[in-house]
Amino acid sequence: MSTTMTLQSKVGVFAGAALLRLVLFTAFPSLPDLLTGRVEISTPVTSFKRLQEGLFLYDHNVSPYDGGVFHQAPLLLPLFSLLPDVKTWPIFTALLYILVDLLSAYALLVIADSGEAGQSKHFTSPRRAKRSSGLLVAAAFLFNPYTIASCIGRSTSVFTNCAILFAIAKALSGSPFNSMVAISFASYLSMYPILLLPPLVLLAYDRQSEKRRIGSAIQFSLRAILIAATCISLLLAMSFALTGNSWDFLARTYGIQLTLSDLTPTVGLWWYFFIEIFDSFRAFFLAVFWLHLVIYVGGLSIRLRTQPLAVLTILLGIFAVFKPYPSIPDTSLFLAMLALFRHLYPIMRYTYVASATMLYATFLGPAFYHLWIYAGSGNANFFYAITLVWSLGQSLFVSDLTFAVLRDEWEVERPDMVGKEIRQI
Amino acid sequence: MRSLLSLLLLIVPSVLVSAADYHEQLNLRPLPLSALLASFNFRANTSLADFEAHNFRLFPRSLGQILQYAGTRELHLRFTLGRWDAESWGTRPWDGTREGGTGVELWAWLDAETDEEADEKWLTLTNALSGLFCASLNFIDGTRTIRPVLSFQPEGDHPNSTLQSTRLLHGVLPHEVVCTENLTPFLKMLPCKGKAGIASLLDGHKLFDASFQSMAIDVRPICPSEGECVLQLEQTVDMVLDVDRSKRPHDNPIPRPPPGHDLICDITKPYHEPGDSCYPVDHLRGQDWTLSQIFGRTMKGTCPLTDAEVPPVCVHIPPTRDIFASEGAHEIKYSNDDSLRCYKIEQDQEFTLILTKTESSGGEVAPLGIVKPETPVLYAERSFTGHGQEHGGVQAILTNPGDDPVEFVYMESLPWFMRVYLHTLSARISASSPNVNTSSADIIKEIYYRPALDRARGTQLELLVSIPPHCTVFLTYDFEKSILRYTEYPPDANRGFDVAAAVITTLEPKVMNIRTTSLLLYLPTPDFSMPYNVIIFTSTTIALAFGGLYNILVRRMVGANEAPRAAFKDKFVGFIEKLKKKRAAASAGGSAKPAAANTEAK
Repeated sequence: MSTTMTLQSKVGVFAGAALLRLVLFTAFPSLPDLLTGRVEISTPVTSFKRLQEGLFLYDHNVSPYDGGVFHQAPLLLPLFSLLPDVKTWPIFTALLYILVDLLSAYALLVIADSGEAGQSKHFTSPRRAKRSSGLLVAAAFLFNPYTIASCIGRSTSVFTNCAILFAIAKALSGSPFNSMVAISFASYLSMYPILLLPPLVLLAYDRQSEKRRIGSAIQFSLRAILIAATCISLLLAMSFALTGNSWDFLARTYGIQLTLSDLTPTVGLWWYFFIEIFDSFRAFFLAVFWLHLVIYVGGLSIRLRTQPLAVLTILLGIFAVFKPYPSIPDTSLFLAMLALFRHLYPIMRYTYVASATMLYATFLGPAFYHLWIYAGSGNANFFYAITLVWSLGQSLFVSDLTFAVLRDEWEVERPDMVGKEIRQI
Repeated sequence: MRSLLSLLLLIVPSVLVSAADYHEQLNLRPLPLSALLASFNFRANTSLADFEAHNFRLFPRSLGQILQYAGTRELHLRFTLGRWDAESWGTRPWDGTREGGTGVELWAWLDAETDEEADEKWLTLTNALSGLFCASLNFIDGTRTIRPVLSFQPEGDHPNSTLQSTRLLHGVLPHEVVCTENLTPFLKMLPCKGKAGIASLLDGHKLFDASFQSMAIDVRPICPSEGECVLQLEQTVDMVLDVDRSKRPHDNPIPRPPPGHDLICDITKPYHEPGDSCYPVDHLRGQDWTLSQIFGRTMKGTCPLTDAEVPPVCVHIPPTRDIFASEGAHEIKYSNDDSLRCYKIEQDQEFTLILTKTESSGGEVAPLGIVKPETPVLYAERSFTGHGQEHGGVQAILTNPGDDPVEFVYMESLPWFMRVYLHTLSARISASSPNVNTSSADIIKEIYYRPALDRARGTQLELLVSIPPHCTVFLTYDFEKSILRYTEYPPDANRGFDVAAAVITTLEPKVMNIRTTSLLLYLPTPDFSMPYNVIIFTSTTIALAFGGLYNILVRRMVGANEAPRAAFKDKFVGFIEKLKKKRAAASAGGSAKPAAANTEAK
């Protein structure tokens, strides 16, 4: 009885989410283009309008990578050229994006139902009884306004998000090979997910199926890395063949994330910094910013070795703030993962402050952008200030989650301290 | 003796051909209202053999050496200001082939086997010309250079073998302000240096006061069917003067309305009432001027080197108008064109022309008294659409007023910071046109597109377009305005960036050029005053996030009561408590004292 109930409610949630998106796509035909034009949703490396331009050039035998507009992975081109023209048949593109969102939600459902958030191989949370159900997590993702906006805005980072979620889901269900393939796809599309590889390998190692178990951690990780490297090389080789035997696409897709040559405003911290930085320090600060992004991976993987899923969540939160071209879809992915840790909410300290800050930035961001770009009554500092607030709010969420995870861990050895005030020394 | 002989041999032929090798002509054409088009044309031929032997006579040595050094086969250089008002002035002088877009425009065919070699020679050429013409031509770098495919054809006669090993490069500087410092080197290249002949009329004050002005330098090899090849240097100045403004006296330059009794009124208007209301018809009665009034100086004879067969001054005006020339000038009339009058002038006599006002008989409005301008093959205008500093669009309105379909190449050379979305390019035929059903694909026949690369090269867009008769076509596309590094903005960042004119080359029914006006692109700007603040704020945010997370990760958790008390906090709390005790003691002592005093008083 209860299984049919849950199945029914699952279908209900998924169908409801799909229907909501479909209605938004069809009832407001100008909404997708409006959202695509927003800097909060579309970045130079994920914009659907730029994808269309790349597609147009690709269809007309002009190399899209011989220009400064298109910065997305080459394999997206044949995928989208298979679809009917978006101007005459927008519904097919819409259906593709809705499908990708539903797949992501399904992956989240699998992740939540695995119970990894509360009980991993080496760690069992005393609070695991209060963990959130898979359906709730999927619904929180599907009905999150940020997720809906990125779906309607047709940002190509939803593909990356889907690949990341599937990588995690596959690692949890004991198929490291599929997980590595999925993370390779994500890395191929957006580059930054490659940094998720260490915690993902740990997660996959912990959750191996008993039948095909590899005892040695080093052997396992070498094998996993080899799979990922092979898969990425294959994808790159396919792209090489696809773009007329030229490696130009490397500089245009990954090079631009490394050098930030396109300074289009985003919700992140990089764009204004690199507009204003002195030319002689540009290379140095690019290196520092990237180093800052990379440095969390090792530290978190070691400190939270027992909870690789928490490491992945925290890293996704950090990337959503500090990567070169962050946008709303990245935040929606972090919030979706955050929903897995419902049992930790009671010990998080600043949820109210952080969520209020993020809401504040969500509403004031578009207003300040309008003042700067359209009304002309504000200047660039208005939008810059709000991106600072947004980043601070989100990083507060990340560090608060980290604190909660650590406290939860600590309370296993100090059960007497539950509910008491603690200090860090 | 032998060297003297060879010297003589060299001189004799050049003296013999010199008479036919240089000519100059000024064409004056009154245009509607108070506009007057003056076209100066100077043409010098040098045989290619002489040129290659560094034997410069009529060809200026300064330019010749640059051309040889940079391996230039054909060169076209334009300095242009203002806008040609095709609606009222009609077709352009020389069918538009001697004008450029606003600013400076340069295109040349360079001897080069590879593109890299062409780029090197182009750099040499632009830098050398920059020095020669006192213009910022050295700013024509990779981002402003394109390699047109359809728009430009060589004007000179090149053997096929040399043409294959040449490269065409085109550069444009729309922001360049053309002024007198560009005129002086231009005049210096003439054989008579502006001291005699029609060039003596060219005065910087008048030339750059014109409504439209274009200076052109063309170097091209010409190979007649018989005889040897010559290198032709053609210098052209076209200017549209405002006669009223030119006639304004120097001592009273501020325009004031004429007093009522000097006004000539149109008495056919129903509201006309003497001394009360007046519709002025001054301009309807045609222009009247003298050559010295409009150019600010008189013409000093003719250049002795000029071809005596070519009359130096010609006026295009209906035969009914009266023109008086100064003494010694000889008027020539042509049987095939009765509206053309030319004047031959004595070599060292000052020359002037006087065009008188048409006499109106009674209240009748006189005819315009000018040759009616020819309707152009195509009207073109271009503008930006949209608002805000994020997205924008370009709209070109192209009208074919004639009875024949017009086929042309539309070329744009756009800066890299205008990110063009070619998939939005569309051609729409206006609803009022007779062929409304023509689709976009019928109008745009071919597209040649080279996308821009950030900080490396600009966009090159060439469209082969065909417009049916009596139709107006709207050509539109979207673009995104990118934000630049703060050092990449000019000092006047809020003025905007100039976007070069679109070049239109018609192929059918006849070859001619049209250039639209240049555009002003307003990009979003950062705050230029606070680089330090931004560096500090962003770094602080990152440090806060990193520091917070680092603290949480590395510090040990203990219960609040188990934590050792911080030394500083202990001291601070101790200090506070001490203060409290003191105060308590002081207040206790204070209340005790009066009591003591009371007891003493008792």
